[in-house]
Amino acid sequence: MTSTEPAAALGAPMTSTEPAAALGADAVLAARIGTFSFHGETAAALRDIEICVRPGTLTAVLGGSGSGKTTLGKLLAGWLRPGHSGTFTGSLAQAGEVLEFSGGHDDPRINPSAWSDRVGYVPQDAAAMLTTVRSTVAEELAFGLENRGIARPDMVRRVARVAELTGLAALLDRDPATLSGGELRRLAIACAVIQAPGVLVLDEPLASLDAAGIIQARNLIGRLTGAGTAVVVLSQEADGLARSASHWLVLDGGTATAVGPPRELIRSPELARTGTVIHAVTHTAVTPTPVAVRDSARQPAAVPALELEGVGFSFPRADGTGGEPLLRNLGLAVPPGGIVAITGRNGAGKSTLLRHLNGLLRPDTGDVRVSGTTIAGLPAGRVAASVGLLFQHPRDQLFERTVLREVSFGLRRLVGKDARAKAHEALDAVGLAGEAGVHPAELPASKQRLLALATVLARQPAVLALDEPTVGMDRHGLERLQHATAAAAARGVGVVMVTHDLAYARANTHRVLALDGGSLREL
Amino acid sequence: MPSTLHPLTSLTAAGCTAVITTAAGCWPLSLAVACAAAVLAARADVGRRVLAAAAAILLPLGLSLLMLHGLFFPEGRTVLAAWGPARVTAEGLAFALEAGTRTGACVLVLLLFSFTVSAPDLVAALAARGLPPQFGFVLASALTLLPAMAGRLEAIRAAQEARGLVVGGGVVSRLAAVRMQMVPLVLGLIEDSGSRAQALDARGFGSPGPRTAYRELADPPAHRRLRAVLLLLAGAAVALRLWTSWPDAGLL
Repeated sequence: MTSTEPAAALGAPMTSTEPAAALGADAVLAARIGTFSFHGETAAALRDIEICVRPGTLTAVLGGSGSGKTTLGKLLAGWLRPGHSGTFTGSLAQAGEVLEFSGGHDDPRINPSAWSDRVGYVPQDAAAMLTTVRSTVAEELAFGLENRGIARPDMVRRVARVAELTGLAALLDRDPATLSGGELRRLAIACAVIQAPGVLVLDEPLASLDAAGIIQARNLIGRLTGAGTAVVVLSQEADGLARSASHWLVLDGGTATAVGPPRELIRSPELARTGTVIHAVTHTAVTPTPVAVRDSARQPAAVPALELEGVGFSFPRADGTGGEPLLRNLGLAVPPGGIVAITGRNGAGKSTLLRHLNGLLRPDTGDVRVSGTTIAGLPAGRVAASVGLLFQHPRDQLFERTVLREVSFGLRRLVGKDARAKAHEALDAVGLAGEAGVHPAELPASKQRLLALATVLARQPAVLALDEPTVGMDRHGLERLQHATAAAAARGVGVVMVTHDLAYARANTHRVLALDGGSLREL
Repeated sequence: MPSTLHPLTSLTAAGCTAVITTAAGCWPLSLAVACAAAVLAARADVGRRVLAAAAAILLPLGLSLLMLHGLFFPEGRTVLAAWGPARVTAEGLAFALEAGTRTGACVLVLLLFSFTVSAPDLVAALAARGLPPQFGFVLASALTLLPAMAGRLEAIRAAQEARGLVVGGGVVSRLAAVRMQMVPLVLGLIEDSGSRAQALDARGFGSPGPRTAYRELADPPAHRRLRAVLLLLAGAAVALRLWTSWPDAGLL
């Protein structure tokens, strides 16, 4: 597949013998990407990719972190405009109309509004799709229609129809800011669907959703393809959704390395080379349990690394009175070297529980003890010396100019002259030793998460608490995470991780607990 | 708690009250207006937030007024105390009181409006009167930006504290903490605004042509009449002020 092949090849990816006229015969969207590079960058972000989608089909674009999936999705959907966002050579075709780009000034211009009427895009961060100034779900949905001057009665009908299709009918009067992760994702998809595009590009549509959210999102995608919409899913997991696609495109280093039906590619070396996470169809663990984890499983020690006893908590209501308890008489003991996973539906209180481990939240009843000592009365910043907590958004924790400075920050005060060695050791543990001089903001999301992990590991806490550490991680990132946590556990650190990824939890932890009704039970 | 008034009615009421208070230039009236605004804010459950914001604006301003006019008022004749070139005069204090209460009343009234207005209603009302939607969006974003940034800063602070960064009591330590929090805040805001701009473009925000509105706002005739009366009163107050001041200005 090269950039000089005729646009005709778009009609059937990887077969470049068809004439140009065949392009739009039954395709709603086709693209031949010679190169696409962002302004100011010499290296091409994308090159040599051909993709073609037909009505009512599901296509999966698979690849690891930084493989170019999001750039491809945004280019297809007009979020990245040739000439405006970067230099593009190749062609884009939709509804039988072919636009040729040579990277020059006289290239055609894409109108993002008109383009999105035909190709919708939903970013991984669903909240980025929303205006933030609309007070109800219905008004957020109507925003795109208002901008197109649709008459109000028609607008009301379309809002109701799309809400029904996306399962938002009962939420139309809710404030978008109060929606759960799954509801927000469906609202973002609905905002794109309401413009009735023939093609919908979804970037990691299942990321950070709980089991119920995943089922709803998959049902929605099924209904959309059933109604004739072509759906393109960008994913770093070959999960059940990707496997139900009729066509796969494997991206690696910004280029398409394989194209074809899933059954042909699932065991292909091209897919194996990427960072794509390959799940077993049954959604059970496929990663063999690392020996280091099992070896480090210890008998409960006399003094647990972490112990919660009778913890109860409720967020105060606006009027100052106590609300419905989120945690009730909750108990947990993690021995040194133990790794515990906590799972549960969105909103069950998992992140709230994690915030109790380092004193960011204080229990209404009960006690939290770290290495046998209560943390009651200690400020969170002091508890952090023995409990390292990683949040879901690693970039919130990073502020230095280089990766090495980030890990070294405040370390000298803690460990004295060994600081530099400890910093390098921590970077090595998460596989970032070669990127010590890079600016943290330039790292892809999965490496930012690993860097945040390194900043905590370097401080050698007794307890490591991780909030959804697998979200946004490709296979390489997951392997690093797995090694780093197993190595920490082998040194006697107690690890608690909150995750929706049951397969990962079962393969890499000693206990899997569910937070349900405010307390923990074994799974 | 958002106000139940039509947003243009509360905007007109706030604006006209500020204009009339300024034109009247009478400290008992200013004080009464400030107290009324404070009471209304308390009744709307935003008293604490309005007073905190007002204090942040008014305390430095009040101090500088006292320093400037209380101590150095050239027209002051009744000297109450003097330290070298600095003289506390009754006229200076009266002027500082006048200016301070007037500004206080205006600030409180406008804060009361911005804390109680429903931003979506205001945007809908302005758009219905033909204002460009971009203007309405910027206005609504400005009204929601501060609370959003405060929430985000809180998340960043907690995330960094969880990493073991303790903010000490010293000035240097606090300044260092501000730097640490600003980097992710600003980078995050830039990234967000980039993707939000792409999303807004895709949803047709930048396209020309007529727009429609989903949100319907009731604008009862009584509200329209009230707005007209308020505008007339404000105009009359300004005219009266100009008329009473004009001869003096002409004599000077």
